[in-house]
Amino acid sequence: MASPTSIHSPSTAVAGILGVESPTVVVVLLSLVISLLMVVVFRYTSDQKAIRVAKDHLKAYLLAVRLFQDQLPVVLSSYGRILISTGRYLRLAFKPLLFVILPLTLLIVQLDRYLGWTPLVPGRAFLVKVRTGNVVILDDVSLLLPPEMAITAPAVHVPADNEVLWRVVAEKEGRYNITVAAAGQDFSKEVVVSSSRLLRVSSIRLQGRFWERMFTSGEPAIPAKGPIRAVEVKYPSRNIRFAGLEWNWIWLFFVLSLVAGFFFKTVLKIEI
Amino acid sequence: MSCPQIQSGRKRYWSKRISLIVIILGIILLCPVHSQAYAGPGAGFAVISSFWTLFVAFLYSVYAFLTWPFRHLFRLLRRRRVPGKAQIKRAVILGFDGMDPVLATRFINEGKLPNLAKLRGRGTFRNLRTTFPAISPVAWSTFMTGVNPGKHNIYDFLARDLSNYLPFLSSAEVRPPKRTLKIGKYTIPLGKPRIRGMRRGTPFWHWLGKAGISCSVIRIPATFPPEKFPGVLLSGMCVPDLKGSQGTFCFCSTRSVGDEFREGGVRVPMERHGSVCRSYIPGPPDPLAGSSGGELRVPFEVRPETNQTRITVGSEKFTLKVGAYSDWIAVKFKGTLGASAHGICRFYLKELSPEVEIYVTPVNIDPGRPDLPISHPVTYSIYLAKLFGPYATLGLAEDTWALNEEVLDDQAFLAHCYANHEDRERMLFDALDKTRHGLCACVFDTTDRVQHMFWRYLEENHPAARKVPRDQRTNVIEDLYCRMDVLVGRVMKQIDEHTLLLVVSDHGFKSFARCVNLNAWLHQNGYLALKSGKSESGDWFEDVDWSHTRAYTMGLNGLYVNVKGREREGIVQSGAGAEALKQELRDKLNGLVDPASGAVGITGMFDCDAIYSGPYVDNAPDLIVGYGEGFRASWDSVMGKVTSEIFEDNLKAWSGDHCIDPRLVPGVLFSNCKIAEEKPGIADVAPTILKLFGLDLPTHFDGKPLTVTIDIAP
Repeated sequence: MASPTSIHSPSTAVAGILGVESPTVVVVLLSLVISLLMVVVFRYTSDQKAIRVAKDHLKAYLLAVRLFQDQLPVVLSSYGRILISTGRYLRLAFKPLLFVILPLTLLIVQLDRYLGWTPLVPGRAFLVKVRTGNVVILDDVSLLLPPEMAITAPAVHVPADNEVLWRVVAEKEGRYNITVAAAGQDFSKEVVVSSSRLLRVSSIRLQGRFWERMFTSGEPAIPAKGPIRAVEVKYPSRNIRFAGLEWNWIWLFFVLSLVAGFFFKTVLKIEI
Repeated sequence: MSCPQIQSGRKRYWSKRISLIVIILGIILLCPVHSQAYAGPGAGFAVISSFWTLFVAFLYSVYAFLTWPFRHLFRLLRRRRVPGKAQIKRAVILGFDGMDPVLATRFINEGKLPNLAKLRGRGTFRNLRTTFPAISPVAWSTFMTGVNPGKHNIYDFLARDLSNYLPFLSSAEVRPPKRTLKIGKYTIPLGKPRIRGMRRGTPFWHWLGKAGISCSVIRIPATFPPEKFPGVLLSGMCVPDLKGSQGTFCFCSTRSVGDEFREGGVRVPMERHGSVCRSYIPGPPDPLAGSSGGELRVPFEVRPETNQTRITVGSEKFTLKVGAYSDWIAVKFKGTLGASAHGICRFYLKELSPEVEIYVTPVNIDPGRPDLPISHPVTYSIYLAKLFGPYATLGLAEDTWALNEEVLDDQAFLAHCYANHEDRERMLFDALDKTRHGLCACVFDTTDRVQHMFWRYLEENHPAARKVPRDQRTNVIEDLYCRMDVLVGRVMKQIDEHTLLLVVSDHGFKSFARCVNLNAWLHQNGYLALKSGKSESGDWFEDVDWSHTRAYTMGLNGLYVNVKGREREGIVQSGAGAEALKQELRDKLNGLVDPASGAVGITGMFDCDAIYSGPYVDNAPDLIVGYGEGFRASWDSVMGKVTSEIFEDNLKAWSGDHCIDPRLVPGVLFSNCKIAEEKPGIADVAPTILKLFGLDLPTHFDGKPLTVTIDIAP
């Protein structure tokens, strides 16, 4: 069992980096900065002239459908050309996307750990779920908690899924490590309890599975030969209020970055 | 391992690496977990715009398919009934402005025009009677309406304002909006400019369109402003540039000296600021400045380098070498209070050292975002611009003035001409592709412009070629005819046995070696008076004493009587007085001899009352002057200037012409079908096409349908 660490460490908080606490402001600022960056990267990694030509051809064939609407063969051939031109356009857009997609995906994965979930709230129960390698050891799994936390209900075993779940409640804010013991080995998992709005949380710790771990877990892998496959803490998902609506941050980021991207591409005269 | 093997191994290694990266990225894209699928605004735009395009196309296709039966029924009910059976499925008309039958015959006989020879052998080749006068807007107006100028109201490029003896463009008038709001020094236009077409009569494609026959009409002269009809049309000759003129080029130079250009261009100073030169492109008048003047300008910057220069115009940056043109560059003229005009132009770097000289073409209306309608529907010009890129929209797109003023040399002029020509060819073949049934008509101006400017090389002693050594006189006109023949061949390959092909020119060509200033002759013979103390006048009759003037001339072929009650300061009694004067002028001018050579300068004087009929005869000149071969109205005479010399040499590059006695310059008519008539006229084309499509002929037509035998050889 470990003692809680400070949850207000600037190195772990986006709020500390950006100097703001509001997730809405963070998403808006990120959308503006990232869209500007991406548009500029797109500009210098794409064949702007070819993209312009491909888009112009698309528009031309759309106009042809309208201009020659009474001539069925022309309309049909225009549809075919629209499809071909769309393919050409996507192909041209793919190359700059290759430059953009990897860093941006990794960035979004990281941001998702700050903006995708809210930390646990003191006094409110949450679930801890452990998945084992086989059903035999389910009865040997136990959960060891720091003094600031307590189990509020008996463990629930789900043999069909090789899972065991506990309902837990934290009394105080802090960044804790809970420990799962099984077959004589201990496996820790970080738990963040805070009323602060922007903190990095990792909902799951996994064994192996590099790609899944990269996208969903912010913690080191569980040793490969151990009996535990995953330890998961069910954080509440975060909704951001913007323009009178509740948004998942990624949707808000999607819309805002598109609008900002459209603005920047127009101002900077960049073909996308 | 040998080098190729090493290279091949490396290629395979990198190929594997790239494939691996692509696969990884593909997995990231295709196997997203939660929200990580979104990869920024670039991907968003790409996906949304392609999806949007397909979605719009899909929606429109559903709409088109569902409504097609109703629209088809509606068209059937609404369209004019076709009383007869169509003899052809499609008519393709290639207009080669100014193609001359004498030259065509010569080159065919020399074996240089195999495709036109094929048409002559298997189909028809005839001289085509042209109009009085043999001027393009007049002849093409007759071509499309099937009537004489008295019914379509076009007698020349220019017409005269009876209230002040000043000229105006005869085919169209662009005026400011009707309503304006004056605030202080600004005049804010409330609405769009008003465009009024002055050509009357109904083009034959309107009848075809109403009968449900598809029509694609490209760049036929005198079709500006474009008229609404069921089909597509791109306007040709008479479309203005962004300044509202028929083409004003701009010549920017760091040289401080230089006379003003007589016509067609402006000199603009280019100032050096260290290693950078700055100049500007003059544009249209500021719409907010009202009558106080003030033009809009687009500044540009030139950074000379060793063998080239870097030019920056707005956000466009490009590099030019000496003797090369830029692509079409979009320019935006920004006015006060957010007003703006969009145009396109090309830059030509004439000299880089010691001075910097840049020629800029007239600023054409941008076809991709036209400020004035240049096509019907408006989207047709946009469609062509999106499909082929920007293209020349100016009516007289080939800058003959720049060659005349020696701003451009022969090669630079030809390069621009043929670039425009290639654009036109692309449009023609697209129209052929789109119009499998119906009418496809396209006029090429290159034939006219190149013959105007290079006739001097066809003659041994043309005054305009005297300073050009014989070994530098190229076969430009022969090359031109060969190029047109290749085009005909390409079209012949595209058409089937149910398609009628006509190759038509509006007039032929002859030499223009000697200028005739008819105003000078009228002055010297007592018909035109100058104010006391003057021996010559300025342009547009400056210093003419109208109170003692009985006749005057302006434009290319018209001669006017100063009729009392018609002209503002007319003195000749209408009726018998005017008739007597006309007869007197005809008698004296017909057969006028050039004292220098003894050649006849005027071979025909035609009374307009006799040659025209129709509701617009009153707008016609009183007499049409038919100049003899080798002669034409002088440059000064055209601009209403009285000089002391009646005859003089034409020293300009514009060395061939057709504004002479129309009997001397018939056009050509080639066809892939046999045509019985020996002397067809240009007015006969419209009724012929209507008849072949099975339509009744309007009774007001002056032309007669030709007897065409539809037996098209492959």
